[in-house]
Amino acid sequence: MQVNLRHKGSITILDIAGKVIGADALALRKIIEEQVQISDNPAEPREHLNLILNLERVQMMDSSGLGVLVAIHTSVRRVNGQVVLLNLGGNVRSLIVMAKLMTIFDCYDSEAEAIAGIMKS
Amino acid sequence: MGERTEQVITLSLPSSMQHVYLLDVVVSEILREMEFGEDIQEQINLAVIEAGTNAIKHGNKEDLSKKAIFQFILAEDRLTIVIEDEGEGFTRQTVADPLDPENLLKSSGRGLFLMEACMDSVTYEANGTIIKMVKYKQTPNP
Repeated sequence: MQVNLRHKGSITILDIAGKVIGADALALRKIIEEQVQISDNPAEPREHLNLILNLERVQMMDSSGLGVLVAIHTSVRRVNGQVVLLNLGGNVRSLIVMAKLMTIFDCYDSEAEAIAGIMKS
Repeated sequence: MGERTEQVITLSLPSSMQHVYLLDVVVSEILREMEFGEDIQEQINLAVIEAGTNAIKHGNKEDLSKKAIFQFILAEDRLTIVIEDEGEGFTRQTVADPLDPENLLKSSGRGLFLMEACMDSVTYEANGTIIKMVKYKQTPNP
């Protein structure tokens, strides 16, 4: 799994590639929890954490990966931020639908739409 | 006269989550050899990874002295996978339904559900320390 982190204004975008399974899923959670901690540091108050998870190049995700998405959703909400999903491929989309998680996440098919969605909320 | 033959491939893994990747590689090769359709390959791969995670993490609790054993039984019309761990086992009925609204925001507990959703049959034996999963090349008649 590879994760590339970039920023667009107040929005943090994670481009995730490869297989989000097993230990790699936990590594992804660690990367994002670090962002949550930065955002939640009262000594250095920042704007709300807004995350876009770009899953376009994710080949496979297992229940550990799904669990990480849910955990991230909860953590980010706790600091009054939001997390949206971008470019769900067929496999990942089926998995999220199967696990009834479409109601939890806002999903977008383009980065511009995802950014607009976050700015509107 | 053609005789139905089965090939059996056995894989014994020490209980480290790092070996889930090895499992992924082995299963992918078996599925390619068996010429399952691409979508079905992805379903089986996911089910095996879930079963591997279950055996290594929840069954053997990542104790490296314990083995997770995977038996792949290749037949013309189906793949049977038997996974055995050295843990204490569990009762399937006591595992919460991850689709229950009160469980949707839980970060774990979806593995067995995904295994069962991806395979044609999943059975639990020996107090859940042995899991047997079957996938047919053609969907079996109800």
